[in-house]
Amino acid sequence: MRTSTPSFSDLIKTPIAAIIILLAISLSFLFLPPKLSNRIKMTCVVPMRPLQWATCFCSNSANNFLDKVFSGWRNAHVKKQLEEQVSQFKNKILEQQDTIYKLQSKLYTISKFQAENKSKTKPIPADIIGYDSLAFRKSITINAGSNHGVKPNDVVVSNNALIGKVVLVSGGSCVVQLITDPASRIPGRVLQTREQVIVEGNATGFCQLKYVPRWAKLKKGDDIVSSDIGGFYPPSLPIATVVETEVKGGDLFQSVKVLPRVNISKIEHVLVLTK
Amino acid sequence: MRWFTFFCILLGISLFQSTLMNWINIGSAAPDLYFPLVIFYSFLADIKRNTITNWFVGMSKDLFSEGSFGINAVFFVAMGFFVWSIRGVLFRGHLVTQVLVTFIFSCIYNILYAVHATLSFHSLGLSATIWTIFTCSLYTAMIVPVLFWIFSKLQPVQEVFPR
Repeated sequence: MRTSTPSFSDLIKTPIAAIIILLAISLSFLFLPPKLSNRIKMTCVVPMRPLQWATCFCSNSANNFLDKVFSGWRNAHVKKQLEEQVSQFKNKILEQQDTIYKLQSKLYTISKFQAENKSKTKPIPADIIGYDSLAFRKSITINAGSNHGVKPNDVVVSNNALIGKVVLVSGGSCVVQLITDPASRIPGRVLQTREQVIVEGNATGFCQLKYVPRWAKLKKGDDIVSSDIGGFYPPSLPIATVVETEVKGGDLFQSVKVLPRVNISKIEHVLVLTK
Repeated sequence: MRWFTFFCILLGISLFQSTLMNWINIGSAAPDLYFPLVIFYSFLADIKRNTITNWFVGMSKDLFSEGSFGINAVFFVAMGFFVWSIRGVLFRGHLVTQVLVTFIFSCIYNILYAVHATLSFHSLGLSATIWTIFTCSLYTAMIVPVLFWIFSKLQPVQEVFPR
């Protein structure tokens, strides 16, 4: 008596085989090199970008329209614009304060070098067209890509404050890892006390400072600016403000909670600083 | 089950999730539109279709997020399989069942993802993460009545949710 071996098409018809095959495909994607999986991702979502842009544009327009309607009552629109301007000026003042401090500290040559580096950056304006679909990752998609000169690791700012860096780039769009993303680590400095810190995201609206010594005198309202250590981020860009400090029993470091200078959920445009 | 309808729903959900959900978030929590779709098809379809739809939903979520590519596909296929395997003992036509199952399995999924994120980045705070898991799951469960109503209008489910 002869028994026939089941063919592949018969095999995938059984549910368990289908589950195993799909899980195997997913797991193989998981173990792909990040560069390759990112490229697959960016290629697959490229056709969706115009739709994302259109949806965002419509929602932003609707939001602006509603804003204007309500501002007729309370002058909210004017207030919002003024608040935005004040926020911009405050951030600018912070940046200037930091530069002045450096000049006072007779680091003229280093400041000059930094200023030269700054002048080499070329800002590219971009609109936000999408947000991350996961609760535990924080990234945005913007409508500027390699066609506009954007490259991976370019710095992204809004209202003169740092909001993240470019991680994935396609022709017409790119993905920006925000400072609140759990994978984000930014070297920073406390403006008032000059302590070196690392600003780390934790997937909430806040960030935390790592490796702040327990003797460091941080207080609520202290400002964190980017540091040139590592040479990755331009120096003196405002990042966040201290909102809470806590020294636990036997810990070596303080637990410091900071609030990003820019409320990322409320912005529509950003600037990409290309090197 | 119509595949064309499924892919249209998935496209719509992906667009909404990656754009408009940001406008209705509470703190850092936004509702997850993908997860009710996983529960809906786990209630609706046979095991094979359920697995395939959940895999596509997971891959779609992976495409629109910065996380590891394929991780949501694995989680969604597993979640879908568990929901499918217990659906026999549930009164799945009832709204309370749909909301509760979505809430419980959304909590489990978020916990699994939080564990994955913690192992990868070591930067998630315990209390903030628990709060995010709870609010996200609750928010997702709250929109289930509306989403299930829309899904059932688009997909033929009369024989699946008997009255």
